[in-house]
Formats: sequence, structure tokens, C-alpha cells
Amino acid sequence: MMDCDQYRRAILADPHGVSAEMRSHVAGCHDCTQYTERVQRFEDKLDRALRVDIAPGARVRGLRGLRTRLARSPRRRRRWLAAAASLLLACVVAGSLWLVAPGSSLAADVVNHMAEEPDAWARTDVPVPQPQLDAVFGESHMRLKADAGLVTYASSCLFRGHQVPHLVVQTTTGPVTVMVLTHETTRGQQRFNDQGYQGVIEAVPGHGSLAVLERGSAFDERTIEAVIAQVQSAIDWTS
Amino acid sequence: MKDPVGGNQKRARFQALCQSLRPDLLRFAFWLSRDRALAEDVVQETMLRAWKSQDSLQDEGSAKPWLLTIIRREYARTFERKRFVTLDVDELISKEEPTLAAADDEDLAELRVAIFKLPDEYREPLVLQVLMGYSTAEIAAELGLTNAAVLTRLFRARKQLRALCGEDTRMDPEISVDSQE
Repeated sequence: MMDCDQYRRAILADPHGVSAEMRSHVAGCHDCTQYTERVQRFEDKLDRALRVDIAPGARVRGLRGLRTRLARSPRRRRRWLAAAASLLLACVVAGSLWLVAPGSSLAADVVNHMAEEPDAWARTDVPVPQPQLDAVFGESHMRLKADAGLVTYASSCLFRGHQVPHLVVQTTTGPVTVMVLTHETTRGQQRFNDQGYQGVIEAVPGHGSLAVLERGSAFDERTIEAVIAQVQSAIDWTS
Repeated sequence: MKDPVGGNQKRARFQALCQSLRPDLLRFAFWLSRDRALAEDVVQETMLRAWKSQDSLQDEGSAKPWLLTIIRREYARTFERKRFVTLDVDELISKEEPTLAAADDEDLAELRVAIFKLPDEYREPLVLQVLMGYSTAEIAAELGLTNAAVLTRLFRARKQLRALCGEDTRMDPEISVDSQE
């Protein structure tokens, strides 16, 4: 039987790899429940801290290249120094702009992907045939059971280097897009509101995450939650 | 007979694949090297090597770990070539201040500085786990360690970070001397 020390050691080593033994311990331990909540909050922060904004490195790369050239041709140094000063100034300006530019987050990539498939958002009541759903999910080694709701669009898309199922589910408030991101491990639920799309990235323990979003000002939390639950339970992850 | 159309499509697909993975690879290289310029050089070199040997990648699904392994090798090679002297962490932090800064969250910047201060052997598995989504077994395979050693390093990494960031560590377990490495 696991004790508190063993549990905390394990949760600190892998806050998302909770075994049955750990679950059984924490279910009956108030202190470890509180400890877990604190560790999870810290983990969310750690995840955000590691996702530094990395923009294309024209600024630094230019400077490094210049340094190399300077070292190779000492007679031209003065002229190069003047050029370097100008370049440095340009780089500082570019760098400042880079600092205020948004980084490439998962949510931003999901939103950018939406622009590639605008037809997916059509309001319709024509369901995607099951063989097509099987083919789309089959590419990602999964299966979507029939109880996922009215799925009117399904495509297997290349997203961040992986084929991922991209669906549209019709709801009473309009079409809701779902991307099944088994390769994107996230923590908890992250909301986003970007370029006219609102939604959430929902962590699915052991299976990456789901991106669920609506277009325009139609964001309805209950609808989003319902679609998450519906799609999540309809996916056979290990087909 | 060669298929130029198929070949072009394959190359375009590979290029798109590399582009989509680039931000995460760059972040990984940044945390590995703690030097943004060096990270960019390493990723650039990695992409070139990957491009040359793209035929050896059979499955696009394994592109990320494949590129990541090349990054680690390339970084080790760069490190060997340049024969770096002992790194001054404070100097590194000051040099990378713009990347570590978080305009809307001071705690985040503080945590990034704390990550910089972690020893390499703790920082790397932590980044693989949290940023790259690697499992314990995958980290063990990549770093040539046992699962138990990986878990010990991850535990120590988080324990150190929590202490450096002023978290309440009273309930944290002690680091036992017999932790497996």
C-alpha cells in the first residue's frame, strides 16, 4: 500500500501519470489531495513557462554572421563596425517588435488551421457517412462511434506534423469544430479567443487533447462542454 | 524510373512537416542550450541534416522524436567543437533576458530563470516531459537511462524548481540518498 511520501514523490515526478495505486491513495488522503492540487497548479505554470516565444532568429543570426565575417577580414573592420551598429539598431527595433508579437501557441495554430478549411463551418444536417468517419479516424489509429452527435464534416488533416481528425459537430447554437490532438499534451483546460474563434483546448489524460471551438460571438460554454464530453466518450482511442 | 512529381510532393510535405515542428524544436533547443542564437543554429543544422536524410524517415508520426534526436546530437557536436568553458548561469540569464521575460506574468519569468538554473541532467528530462509530451519510457530511451532514474531526476527537478520559486515545500518529500540513478 502506497504511503504519503511515496505518493508525493510519484506525483512530483509525473503529475499526469497517475496510476491506479496513486488514485486509490489520494482518494482517502485529504493532505495528498491538497498537495496534488498545488502540484497541478505549479505544473500549469511550468508548462506555460517552457513555451517561450520563439520567433524566427533574423535578429541574432544576422549579428552572428556579421561577427564571423569581421573575424575573417580585419582590414574592413571599421566599415563593418559602422554597418554592425546600424544593423544592431535595426535588430533592436525588430527585437522590440518581436517581443510584442504573439508566439506560436497550440491555440494559435488551431485557429490558423481553421482558415485553411472555411467550408467546414457550413450549417447542414447531412451527416458524414460512417465509412468516411472510419477512414478519417483510422488514419490516426482511432475510431469514432456513432454517438458523437451530428457530425457534418470530417477530414484527416496534417497538423503540427501529424494526421489529426478534424470534425464539425452541429449543435443547437451552430457548428462546433473539434480537432482530436492525440500528439499534443496539455494541462487542464485552456481557453482562447483569437481571430474571431473562441474555444478551449481540453486535456485528455493519456490521449493528448481536444481543441473545441466556435466561430464568431457564438461561444456557449455549456455547448462546448457538451461537445467535449460527447466526442470524448465516442472516441475509441485504441482502435 | 524516378517519379519527379511524387518526389516533389514528398519534399513539399517534408518541408511542411519540418516547418510545423520547428517552434517546439526551437524551444527544446533553447532550453537545452540556454542560448537562443545557439538554439537557432542547432535547429538550422538539424533541418539540413534531416533534409539530406529524409528518406530514412519512414513514418511521419515519428518525425518529432527523430528530429529531436538529431538536435541532441547536433548540440553535443557543437558543444564539443566550441569546447565551452564553465558557463556562468547569471550571464546566460542576463543574455537571454528578452526570451525569459513574460510581459504579463512576473511569476512566469521567475520560473524561467529557475529552469535556467537547473542542472542539465534535471532540465533536459523535464523539458522532454512537459514541453515535448514524452512518457517516462520515451525519455529513458532518448537519454539512455532507466525509468527509475528518469523519475528520480524529474522529482528532483520539480522539487528544486518549487524551492527556487518560493512555493510551499513543507509537504514535499525529502530527496532520499538511495534514490535510483
